[in-house]
Amino acid sequence: MTERIKSLLDRIFDKEQAKFRRDVDWKPLLDRLIADGIGDEARARIGLEEMLKAETPAFMDGERLAFLRTVREIPDLHSDAEMDARRAAGTAFGEKGVVFNLTADFAPTIRDGLGSRLSEMEERLAQCRAEGDAAGIEFLENAILSAKAVLELAERYRAEAEKRGLDDIAATLAQVPRKGARTFHEALQSLRILHYAMWCEGEYHCGLGRIDQYLYPYYEADAKSSRLTEAAALEELEEFFIACNRDSDLYIGIQQGDNGQSVMLGGVTRDGKRAFNALSRLCLKACGELKLVDPKIILRVDKSTPLEIYELGTELTAKGLGFPQYANDDVVIPALQRWGYELEDARDYSVAACWEFLIPGCGMDINNIDAVSFVGSLDATLRNLAQRCKDAQDGLKYEAVEKGFLAEIQRRADELVEKYKHVEILPGPFVSVISRGCIGKARDISKGAKYNNFGIHGTGIAVAVDSLASVKELVFEKKLVSLSVLVSLLDTDFAGRPDVLVAAKAAPKMGNADPRADEIAKRVIGFWGRVFDGKRNDRGGIFRPGTGSAMYYIWHAREVPASPSGRRRGEPLSANWAPSLDVPVKGPVSVVRSFTEPDLGPVCNGGPLTIEIHDSAFAMSDGVSKVAHLVKFFIERGGHQMQINTINRETLKDAQKHPERHRHLIVRVWGWSGYFVELDREYQDQIIKRMELVA
Amino acid sequence: MTGRVFETREFTLHDGPGVRTTVFMKGCPLRCAWCHNPEGQSFEIETMIRKNGDKTLCGRDWTAHALADELLKNADMMAQSGGGVTFSGGEPLAQPDFLREIVSLLKESGVHGAIETSGYAPAVVYRDIIPRFDFVYQDVKLLDAAAFRRWTGGSLSVVLENIAYLRGCGVPFAFRVPLIPGVNDDAASRAAFAAFADGCKVEYLPYNTAAGAKYPLLGRAYPMGAIT
Repeated sequence: MTERIKSLLDRIFDKEQAKFRRDVDWKPLLDRLIADGIGDEARARIGLEEMLKAETPAFMDGERLAFLRTVREIPDLHSDAEMDARRAAGTAFGEKGVVFNLTADFAPTIRDGLGSRLSEMEERLAQCRAEGDAAGIEFLENAILSAKAVLELAERYRAEAEKRGLDDIAATLAQVPRKGARTFHEALQSLRILHYAMWCEGEYHCGLGRIDQYLYPYYEADAKSSRLTEAAALEELEEFFIACNRDSDLYIGIQQGDNGQSVMLGGVTRDGKRAFNALSRLCLKACGELKLVDPKIILRVDKSTPLEIYELGTELTAKGLGFPQYANDDVVIPALQRWGYELEDARDYSVAACWEFLIPGCGMDINNIDAVSFVGSLDATLRNLAQRCKDAQDGLKYEAVEKGFLAEIQRRADELVEKYKHVEILPGPFVSVISRGCIGKARDISKGAKYNNFGIHGTGIAVAVDSLASVKELVFEKKLVSLSVLVSLLDTDFAGRPDVLVAAKAAPKMGNADPRADEIAKRVIGFWGRVFDGKRNDRGGIFRPGTGSAMYYIWHAREVPASPSGRRRGEPLSANWAPSLDVPVKGPVSVVRSFTEPDLGPVCNGGPLTIEIHDSAFAMSDGVSKVAHLVKFFIERGGHQMQINTINRETLKDAQKHPERHRHLIVRVWGWSGYFVELDREYQDQIIKRMELVA
Repeated sequence: MTGRVFETREFTLHDGPGVRTTVFMKGCPLRCAWCHNPEGQSFEIETMIRKNGDKTLCGRDWTAHALADELLKNADMMAQSGGGVTFSGGEPLAQPDFLREIVSLLKESGVHGAIETSGYAPAVVYRDIIPRFDFVYQDVKLLDAAAFRRWTGGSLSVVLENIAYLRGCGVPFAFRVPLIPGVNDDAASRAAFAAFADGCKVEYLPYNTAAGAKYPLLGRAYPMGAIT
């Protein structure tokens, strides 16, 4: 790492960028938008214009890639009352309602410049006017002004840089983003501005996508013409990655660090050729040197990926970054095809934010629109059956419990289909400019893109499966307890029946390669994979089931008492696709074995196997290679996604006591890496609990 | 033929090449004061009681066939990574008949076998069992007979005789030295270990500060007290 990068990095850690920030009172703007009865598209455009006007060009010492957020809050463009009224009138929104969880199609605009997009839009606008396409006119007028607002700020930045003698930056901004990037440096600057502008427009969880693919031509051309040495390219990339951490504390998420700034590396190209290249390698190297939480790296692999590439990944794991996350092309690409994605697009997949698979530039999927609580479904089923059967177990078979549970999953899934039949998304004229097809169609991306599917998480799958295995053994095989007594024990947290608790904990569990649990998991996952078959939203999209939990693993745990698996009341669920927290598993090999037993293709919305490894694993030099073998084993067995946390319980405990000593301690939370000390206690405690059974 | 095992642990990263499972055999003739697996010392089945009252039974008897079947469930992972099974303990050589049988079963399936031993076993046992393994981790704890007796309760000459055999028997091996503060971690001891190794591979294992953690669960006191 060069001295310049080191100094930029130090100043990010000291949050020096915060000194440039100010608050703006946006209330008058909102009042005006409401009073004037401004429509959604114009509001989005005015919001961006006002936000960018309020921004002040600011530069950190030594930086060469400009742009940093100086206004803390972006304007609210709709009042709560307005949104509530729309909901009351039957419209559903995904989270905040705006465009989110997506990756724009940065490449064409980096290549051609925003100026080219402007000409295209002017041309298209003339056409719409000739055709009398009012909606097209409205979209294009707003989109044009949005793009102009971004160019105006870039021009102010350029002039200010020139005034301050920052000739380097001024020269770059004289080219991009208006004109196409000619060099790797210009491409990075252009990307920085486009990405920054999305956040200013109100989009959040904005991914960066496959930067090793779309920035490669610039890198390659510079390298070939000897303009750029490898060391210089690394420095460029490192500065860009640092820039991803400049404004990230302002980015909205459930927890600090949950901002969706993902970078996808490797995999295959749109025409199916190997995509891992010198730039992919450089990205991994840069992350390893910087040890920052952003951007979050995902590495695409398949069964032919050599161990050496896995090792480049596990070297980062060894550094405790909680990424890369691994995604398996062998599973994901066919899964996306089955869901109707075209092969070329499927090969081009990235993730929305954490791990929900998305096609950059043309996916307006809402991949995390809601979740089905598996633990809640089982709890409801057991209560229902217990009431009907009282103590008369005669006649009741285990199969009826499982069948009832699956029916409850179906019922809840159907409810969600109904709930999200009609979803509106608030417009994003600027993000539409940099997404595929919007200008041609003269419609905002919020009205629909090529793909408009919704993703539904499944929370607490392992706890539910373990609970089924426990019910089967305790109630039906050993007849230790009747179903109705078991249900009452869940409410009392096993009070007075320590024998039932011990037996529940000892019952078969997922993660031990125990067919008694894994066979149940296969049936449950098989069912989950079909639960939305034939269901569509009114955008023409489908519903994709997944094994992710997002933050629901905390929320859904609060909704149920104790679980038949022996999970005590108040104890958290495991995040994503992972063994229940208190389960003594034989080890990660058996965990991988259990969690790759079900066919994961049909539940490929996203949701990685999440495992914890003690940091001493890397004390010996071959630890990196052994962990790489474990990931490879997962991939070869048909796993879809995997992420590994390298932590030490004692360190985490100490960080709770002395946060000041552990400011840089990184953990993987559910689909993203964050600084441990910046998380709420509940999330911290869940991570510590995950570590309890790790030697 | 059954063997008594107190733990099989998957994905042990410090017990040999590749991804391995380590089998911890129950029972040991030595009583090293710093032992971090006190439940591996007695040959009897014991109960560990955790602070929250949870009980864990330590020790389970396996037939060689049953244990081999269990271990071979991960044969694919072992083959992929060039890994295998490591026998540790306790002292594995204290159950030679079982070891002989299970190693031959694992061999039949092409699994790499390693053993980690104190070397505290009759020479006839050592010479019979050791050549059946692909790799040996041979502990070297102390090189002074009086100190060895004091800290481990055993006789150093037994170990030295076996090591002399090991050096010439052709099985690849490494010495392992657990560094114990105030016992064998001074410069003179380190120099002595290096001289003893005589160019052979030596791994120095840092003191495990959590070594005493399991004693209270067995109702025992950690002989070393608090070392930090």
